Amino acid sequence: MSSELSILALYGLLVVLTVLLNVLTALPQVGLMTLGGPRDDMPPLTGLAGRVARTLDNSVVAMALFAPAVLILSAKGAFTAGTLFAAQIFLIARIAFVPIYAFAIPVPFLRTLVWLAGFLATVYLYLMAL
Amino acid sequence: MTPELVALTLAALLQVIQFALMAIPANIELGPGKTMSARDRSRLGGSLEDQLSDGTARLYRAMNNHFEGLILFAIACIVVTLSGQADGFTALCAWAYLLARVVYIPAYYYGLKPWRSVVWFIGFLATTFMLLATLL
Repeated sequence: MSSELSILALYGLLVVLTVLLNVLTALPQVGLMTLGGPRDDMPPLTGLAGRVARTLDNSVVAMALFAPAVLILSAKGAFTAGTLFAAQIFLIARIAFVPIYAFAIPVPFLRTLVWLAGFLATVYLYLMAL
Repeated sequence: MTPELVALTLAALLQVIQFALMAIPANIELGPGKTMSARDRSRLGGSLEDQLSDGTARLYRAMNNHFEGLILFAIACIVVTLSGQADGFTALCAWAYLLARVVYIPAYYYGLKPWRSVVWFIGFLATTFMLLATLL
């Protein structure tokens, strides 16, 4: 298996972990009965749970963009040292993104810059796929 | 085509069905004047989803939840296939995912507690096992 595909699978597992974090942080806030119920009147999550929920939403969008880029490159047999590097940057940036957002680490623009690194890495993969 | 890719195609078609299951009652309840508008909150007096009946709002949330699940499942199915690691176990996981996502819809609609969460977790676990199988 190519390393880029391994990175894609690893990113999938990162999203799996973020989903679990989302459940575990929401649980003490709304309770098991609300979370396990049909959520008709579930209050918006706040604080840590709210930030984890937004992290997850952002990670899913990144996943929906990153996966096609890697799969197109794989189908075209267009992997290079550059695409491997971009995929590694993406993975590292997205791993860092989770605690930076979840704990609201107070460094100005840090979260946005880390997000931008992952985003630009994805854009690079698409350019290489063309 | 591997069983994983067949299950993935069916899961994508399931999402098309979930869209229709949500959109048809939503249009009946709200009317095309609202659904075909630009859905500005200032004009609708809030978000469109909040104006749905409980049942239709459940179908809406079930569809949204499947977007997240489907993207993960697509990665799992395609990477398993491309890396030549598709086997009996990953095929079983793929069918378990599909079955869980079908059962999830009525479980959500009828507010079955805790079965909706249990069924969701089965699909989630199946995807996780497939992702892990590609790396081991």
